[in-house]
Amino acid sequence: MPQHPTAHLSRRQLLLAAGAASLSPAWAQSTWPAIEQAARGQTVFWNAWAGSEQTNAYLQWVAQQVQTSHGVKLQHVKITDTADVVKRVRAEKAAGRTASEGTVDLVWINGENFAAMKREGLLFGPWAETLPHFKLVDVAGKPTTLNDFSVPTDGMESPWGMAQFTLFADSKRLPQQPQSMQALLTLARAQPGRITHPRLPDFHGTTFIKQALVEFAPDAKALAQPVTDAAFATQTAALWPFLDALRPHLWRAGKQFPQNAAAVRQMMADGELLLAITFNPNEAANEIAAKRLPTSVVSWQFEKGTIGNTHFVAIPYNARAKAGAQVVANFLLSPAAQARKADIAHWGDPTVLDVARLPAADRALFQTGNQPGLVAKGAPTLPEPHASWVDPLEKEWARRYGV
Amino acid sequence: MRLLSHASFRRLGAGALLALAAVPLLWTALEALRTGSHSAAWRSLAQDPALVHAALLTLWTGLASTLLAWWGAAALLARGFVRQRLARLLRGLPVMLATPHAALAIGFLFLLAPSGWLLRALSPWLTGFDSPPPWPTTQDPWGLGLIAALVIKEIPFLLWTAATQLQRDDVRQRWRAEHALAQTLGYAPRRAFWLVLWPQLATRLRWPLLAVLAYGLTVVDMALVIGPASPPTLAVLAWQWLQDADPATYTQGAAAGVLLALMVLACSAFWLGAQRLQRQALAHGHGVRGSTARTPGTDIGLWLLVGVYAAVLLALAVGSVSGVWAFPAVWPQSFTNAAWAQVMQSSGTVLTTLWLAAGSSAVALLWSVAWLELAPRRWDDALRPLLYLPLVLPAVLWVVGLYGVGLQLRLEGQASGLLIAHTLMVLPYVLLALSPAYLGFDPRYAQLNASLGRSGWAFLLRVKWPLLKRALASAAAVGFAVSVAQYLPTLYVGAGRFASVTTEAVTLASGGQRSLTSAYAGLQLALPMLAFALAAWLGRPRRFTHPVA
Repeated sequence: MPQHPTAHLSRRQLLLAAGAASLSPAWAQSTWPAIEQAARGQTVFWNAWAGSEQTNAYLQWVAQQVQTSHGVKLQHVKITDTADVVKRVRAEKAAGRTASEGTVDLVWINGENFAAMKREGLLFGPWAETLPHFKLVDVAGKPTTLNDFSVPTDGMESPWGMAQFTLFADSKRLPQQPQSMQALLTLARAQPGRITHPRLPDFHGTTFIKQALVEFAPDAKALAQPVTDAAFATQTAALWPFLDALRPHLWRAGKQFPQNAAAVRQMMADGELLLAITFNPNEAANEIAAKRLPTSVVSWQFEKGTIGNTHFVAIPYNARAKAGAQVVANFLLSPAAQARKADIAHWGDPTVLDVARLPAADRALFQTGNQPGLVAKGAPTLPEPHASWVDPLEKEWARRYGV
Repeated sequence: MRLLSHASFRRLGAGALLALAAVPLLWTALEALRTGSHSAAWRSLAQDPALVHAALLTLWTGLASTLLAWWGAAALLARGFVRQRLARLLRGLPVMLATPHAALAIGFLFLLAPSGWLLRALSPWLTGFDSPPPWPTTQDPWGLGLIAALVIKEIPFLLWTAATQLQRDDVRQRWRAEHALAQTLGYAPRRAFWLVLWPQLATRLRWPLLAVLAYGLTVVDMALVIGPASPPTLAVLAWQWLQDADPATYTQGAAAGVLLALMVLACSAFWLGAQRLQRQALAHGHGVRGSTARTPGTDIGLWLLVGVYAAVLLALAVGSVSGVWAFPAVWPQSFTNAAWAQVMQSSGTVLTTLWLAAGSSAVALLWSVAWLELAPRRWDDALRPLLYLPLVLPAVLWVVGLYGVGLQLRLEGQASGLLIAHTLMVLPYVLLALSPAYLGFDPRYAQLNASLGRSGWAFLLRVKWPLLKRALASAAAVGFAVSVAQYLPTLYVGAGRFASVTTEAVTLASGGQRSLTSAYAGLQLALPMLAFALAAWLGRPRRFTHPVA
């Protein structure tokens, strides 16, 4: 049964100091030890999606590490949908909870959920860019570490891992992998009923539609701007005819869509579907390592590139253990933690760090062998459309295909 | 000197008990209604393109499943009663009752899916399929899979509540006598059952039936797994809206919950009205005796039910250790114990589940016994609808209220808040399970006790409760099973901090790993089964050792 940390007065003062400190980066640098000291003995409730045993096991490892190194007790609050957390913090704010009276200390987040929390003032910060390990992040090579679905992070969340739209299939059933949305349509016509995507607004379903949007939009730059009615009409003009053409050849003639990407993966594993989609390029390799997919499964990204993004951790405005949460976030950016996360044997989630710039010893941590199921040839990462595109895209999809 | 008479003392006690239960129940219901009654939310609900279709699907699946479950349970009971084989009929029930709805749906899905066991067994040698056929046998747009799963899950519940009626000695003896009398008048045994006993039993099963109807109309977890998807039923839509980060969508979800509650009310009224008409028609029986020629064959219905449960449990067991398992292989091509290893690691969830279930069912049992003992019958009859609110209100609406109240009282994320939420959900089931036996207790025992000059407490401790211990134990086991199966209240009121085996199972089901989902479903099943086994052991008849003369 979780216990609430009993905040001693001295500790609370330190915490206030740490909170104020992060407003000015220069001073924050000098007070990192103060934050570490304030964090000692705190319990951090980390609300994180828990649908995968690798993720859960990795979080347990993080908990052991921060307990030993910083005396921070990390509790994984297992959730199915981050929107629940947004809602909970919002409800707490509406109920008049002030700072350090909340139930969430750290949340795994990105995209619309971050945009909503930032817009509504539900986040604590800025703090992320003052973390000692932040300077290791590849902000130049991975610009999405500072722009979450084209919304500037402004130090309100700290990058944790990378994601890119990836497909995987059993090469025995699908020897020739389609290299674009157009090629996917050709495949669907040849083998009707063997391809589908999750029903929107499931995250992976939306991502599939966004990938098609990026491929068919006449002007990619317009997608990086907040959506307008005019821009939406122009940029999606070619998308809907494509989806109309694809639909009758989808699984169950596109009259039904699976709930989520996991269901699609299970149907691919059973042989009901030809291919599955994921946002973790290493997912197929993970599943092969866990013996849930055969070794003949291959992963690939479209030749001209697929959309990708970064996922982050953020601290709600009313977190009780803000110092502890920052210590955890900083630990997550350490080469050791990032390397373990990137390792297929543990999780296999691409790192946000600039591995080439790390000292040789740290760089060595990132060496991995050539496991089956890995993406053979990486493709360019295309930026996500601005977060504001998601809602009209989902609404229009639901209007056309949802019923 | 006694300030209060015995009767007014009892009334005081009953009043205190009532306040204890009614205040949180009413508060929760009102909070839910308040959240779900914003006019803007109703407007956007009315404009939702999926609403009409989803509502019709809800009516169809809810009414069809209830009708079939009712008919199926009645047919099984008739056969069991006529052939005096009720005991055999009831033997497998605890396993069926303990099977959580979600676990049943997951296992059932794996039997029926295009890539499921049934077709694997026939492929490719008979069907010629190397890949699963494009048949819509799961999540079918007509909701047939959902109806079948609901019927299979609800028949055991109805049978069991009927059995609690038949456990009353007074009732059983009278009904046997009436049944025999009807036969002497020339009615065949089965027809005598339908004409004489069933109308009486049906009246007594009113509340369980309404619970089944409400459940069928408002179920979320089963419908998510096996129900139609485009659009889903209204309850699933409401649940999806409630999960949305946008507050307007959230209140739209709450409004959909209120709409569901209204649909439950309307359907209940319709059902009870239809039942009354049927009873009136039967009352003017025209004496058709019917032939005795129809000799019943084997108990095919019972075997079918038992067979489906056995296949579901086997599918879960095999699924939990399966690795690579592509169509059309009948058995997994590789096995792994990773899922069970993961389950073992999360022993904390088992402890949380145990204390919550034990605590809430104990409190609910204490309350129910005290209430049945103290409350005047008039109060009890009048207040049952209030006490049964959690049974008939949609879970999606109820959780809105629970969460709202939890926030106001700062109980969210607290163990005490979670225990209260669970107790409120468990209470009506325990009361429902306990009432028939408790209220049917032969009053002559009490008169005899008084005539022997023994105190009320001695009577309760030495006579009444020991005689009722089977009913007490099984009511507690039902409460335990209900608590274990709670998903939404645990998630919302627990602020996600308390992981039970059910929240863990549903969370992992979102990750879609068959082995892990099956393993957790197995655990979710094992706990209530242990509770039922314990109840059966505790409830075994007393044996008195007679001194040898």
